[in-house]
Amino acid sequence: MLPLANILARPVRTTVSMLAVGVGVALFLVLVGLTSMLDEIARRTTRVEAHLMVWPASDQVVVSGGLPAEKVERDLEGIPGVARAIPVLRWPLKMAGRVQNVYGIRPSDWPAFAAEDQMVAGRPLEGGDEMVVDTRLAEAGGYTVGRTVERWGRTYRIVGIAREGVAGRVFMPIDTVGEALRQTSRRASFFYVRASDPRRVEAVRKAIGARGLNVFTMDEFYDVLASSFVDMDKVIGAVVFVAGFVCFLVILLTVYTMVIERTREIGILKGIGASRLQVFGLVLAEAGLIAAGGIVAGFLLTWGARAVILHAQPLWTVAIPPVRHAWAALLAAGGTLLGALHPAARAACQDPVESLREE
Amino acid sequence: MAPIIETRDLTKVYASDGVETPALRGVDLAVEAGEFVSIMGPSGCGKSTLLYLVGLLAKPTRGTVRIGGQDTAALGEGGRTRLRRRHIGYVFQRFNLLPTLPAEENVALALRLRGERPGGAPRDMLRAVGLDEKRRRRPGGLSVGEQQRVALARALVTRPTVLLADEPTGNLDSEASDRVMDLVSRLHRQRGQTVVLISHDAHVADRADRLVRMRDGRLLHP
Repeated sequence: MLPLANILARPVRTTVSMLAVGVGVALFLVLVGLTSMLDEIARRTTRVEAHLMVWPASDQVVVSGGLPAEKVERDLEGIPGVARAIPVLRWPLKMAGRVQNVYGIRPSDWPAFAAEDQMVAGRPLEGGDEMVVDTRLAEAGGYTVGRTVERWGRTYRIVGIAREGVAGRVFMPIDTVGEALRQTSRRASFFYVRASDPRRVEAVRKAIGARGLNVFTMDEFYDVLASSFVDMDKVIGAVVFVAGFVCFLVILLTVYTMVIERTREIGILKGIGASRLQVFGLVLAEAGLIAAGGIVAGFLLTWGARAVILHAQPLWTVAIPPVRHAWAALLAAGGTLLGALHPAARAACQDPVESLREE
Repeated sequence: MAPIIETRDLTKVYASDGVETPALRGVDLAVEAGEFVSIMGPSGCGKSTLLYLVGLLAKPTRGTVRIGGQDTAALGEGGRTRLRRRHIGYVFQRFNLLPTLPAEENVALALRLRGERPGGAPRDMLRAVGLDEKRRRRPGGLSVGEQQRVALARALVTRPTVLLADEPTGNLDSEASDRVMDLVSRLHRQRGQTVVLISHDAHVADRADRLVRMRDGRLLHP
C-alpha cells in the first residue's frame, strides 16, 4: 500500500514518469511495427504458386519490362522439370494517392496468384480494360466493383476485389498493360516458374541460370527484398534505443528525486524496523508501479498512433502481434527497474540517524 | 535478573570533513525491566545519540549495548534490524508518520515490516490512544498531538520490550503534551512497559521513575 500511496501523492510527477515510459513503449511498438510493412510486401510478392522467380540478367532486382514474354516462356517450359512459366509485366501506377505496382498477368494465370475463395466481390480478370484490386486498396481508395479508373489516358473498370494477401494490390491483363505502354509485343518484367516436382527445383534453377537469367527461389527473393531495407532497420533500431535510454534516464531522475525528498521518511521506516532490503524493495515497488502504468499508457498510445497512421496512410502496415506487446512490456519494466536500482540502493544504505536529522 | 538495557563505556564520535566530534563519552547506563527512565540535558549533550545507539539505529565507536541480555556488538545490519523489530518501539520528535498513509496504515506498517498480518491490532491500539474514530485520516488531517498519539500507537502495536521516545512532546502544546504523557504513564503502569524518554521539559521528566541527567556526552546521575 505504501508504494501506491506514495506515487498517488505526486500525481503530476507520476503522470509524467508514466508518460515517459509510455512514449518509449509506443515508439518501440510502432516503429518496429512499421518495419513489418517491408516484410508484408516481401511476403505478398512471394506468395504465389511457384518455386522460382526469374528476372532479366542485371546486377539489381529492379522493376523492368524487358523480357520477350512468349519466347522466354517457351524457353523456360522447355527445360526439364519446369511445369509452368508465368509472365508478369509490372509497372507503377498511382492508385488511392500512392504508387502501386500493377501486376500485368494473363487472366488464365490468376489461379496461381489467388485461391478460389480469395475473391470477395466480383470476378477474376477475363481480358480487356479490366482491373482487380485487393481489399486494402479498395478500402483506401473507395474502389468498388463496377467503378472506373482513368489512367494512361484510358478508362479501366474494376471487375473484382480480392482479399488482401495476393502478390500485388492491382492486377490487369498483361496485354492491356502492354498496350498502355505502347509495347509492340508482349513483354514481361519477370517470370514465376513452377517445377513439376519440388525435388527438382535446384536442377531447374541451375538450368535457368545457365541461360544467363537471374533466378531466385521464393525464399531467396524474400530475403533480397527484406535485406534491401536493412538501413531502415538500423535507423529504427537506433531510434528505439534512444527512446529506451531516455525512459531509463527519466525514471532514474524521478526515483532519485523521490528518494532525496523522502530522506527523513526512510529514516523513520528504518526506525520502526524496516531492513535495508525492505527499503530497497519499497523503492523498486514504486518504480514498478510507474512501469506498469507506463506500459498501459504505452499500449494506449500505440493503438492510438496506429489508428492515426492507418487513417492517414491506409496502405501502410503496422503489425503489432501480442508477443511484441509482451516484449515491449518486458523492456519497459526492465529499463524502469534498471533506472531505479541506484536510487533504491542509495535509499537502502542511508544512515538512519542522518536521515532522521534531515529537516 | 539482567537489566533490559545495559550500556558500558558507550562512546560515539562523529567524524565529518576530517573533524571529530565526540557525542557520547563512556556512558554506563542500566535500565531495569518495567522501569520508566527520563533523560534530561541541554541541547547537544548527546541525549538523542544515546537513544540512537540504544535503539540500534547506529553503532558505537566504542563500548557495548546489551538489549534483553544480548550483546549487540557482533551483530550485523540484519541482526540489529531483527533485534530492533523485536524489542524496540521508537517515538520520534517530529514528522513521525508517513504522510501518504492513513493513521491505521501507519500503525499497521510496524507489523507489516515484521512480516505479520495487522489484523485488528492497529485499530485496537488506536482505540487505546483515543483515536479510533480518526483511523482513516491521513496525518495532514490530524493535529500535532493526535499525530504523536498515532506514533505512540505505532511504536507500541508490536508490543516492544522497550519504548524509546525522543522528545515526544517537544512540538506539542501543554494540553496535548499532557495527553501523550498520560498515555505513556498509563501504559507504563498497566503493562509494565519499560520506557526511556528524552525530554528537556522538567514537567514531563517528572513522570518518570528515575531521572538521568546528561552533559557534554556524559551521564551526571546514572
